[in-house]
Amino acid sequence: MTPAAGPLGALEASELGRAMREWLWLYPAVEIVHIAGIALLFGSIAVLDLRLLGFSRRVSAKQLAAHVLPWTAASFVLIVPSGLMMFTAHAADFIASGVFAVKMGIILLAGVNAAVFHMGPFRSVGNWDVDTPPPAAARAAAAVSLAAWSAVIACGRLLAYF
Amino acid sequence: MKTIIIAAALAAPAAAWAHHGWSEYDSSKALKLTGKVVESGYEHPHGHVRLQTAGKTWNVVLAPPSRMERRGLEKGALKPGATVSVEGYPNRTKGEELRAERISVNGKTVELR
Repeated sequence: MTPAAGPLGALEASELGRAMREWLWLYPAVEIVHIAGIALLFGSIAVLDLRLLGFSRRVSAKQLAAHVLPWTAASFVLIVPSGLMMFTAHAADFIASGVFAVKMGIILLAGVNAAVFHMGPFRSVGNWDVDTPPPAAARAAAAVSLAAWSAVIACGRLLAYF
Repeated sequence: MKTIIIAAALAAPAAAWAHHGWSEYDSSKALKLTGKVVESGYEHPHGHVRLQTAGKTWNVVLAPPSRMERRGLEKGALKPGATVSVEGYPNRTKGEELRAERISVNGKTVELR
């Protein structure tokens, strides 16, 4: 592969970019870390979102959130460095890819949705913590979250095909 | 706006590394090409060679390097100047691209799928 021009090309031509393309087992190993991170991210988010949609109301929403959110945060330690490493290998191709742009846009949307939820509906969790239907705003946030992260997974996978 | 983004995503030119699927290649038009390697990449996620044949120069997409090595196709076999034959299928839209089913170098044939 001939690295592209400009800063993206410099990234591709870097030792890391070269190693990602040319070392036999580095790229697959990094992909595995990325996918394990996604499993932890999506799993931890999905159990909370399902609770916020109104399932399993006997489980304290507050305690469930306290349990899963640190794991959601931890998943980024696996996902972000591995993602940046894959990006480095083919930086110009990723930037030129419409799927990549859509994926990053949806991640941003999911982040904003989570922030709005934590600053808004989640503040009143004491009122609907156990055996109470979550408020509509919490359900909406959970639905958006599940849809957004599912779409992120789809985009990530489709990057290899488009 | 959303429609535009989705349309842009679908219309975006396929990146050089986006070759996971075989569906973008036309398996009803199997081709056998023999030529000289002009340029090669023993690279993830897929290896590739620029293959100069009598008619034209093809961009031939191979397998992941880890798979090629396991099957006995070493990096050195794809050096520029090497004569190789590939059997494969042309890309449905990119006229110069071929996805190789198998490759023959130095009398040795290696399956790539």
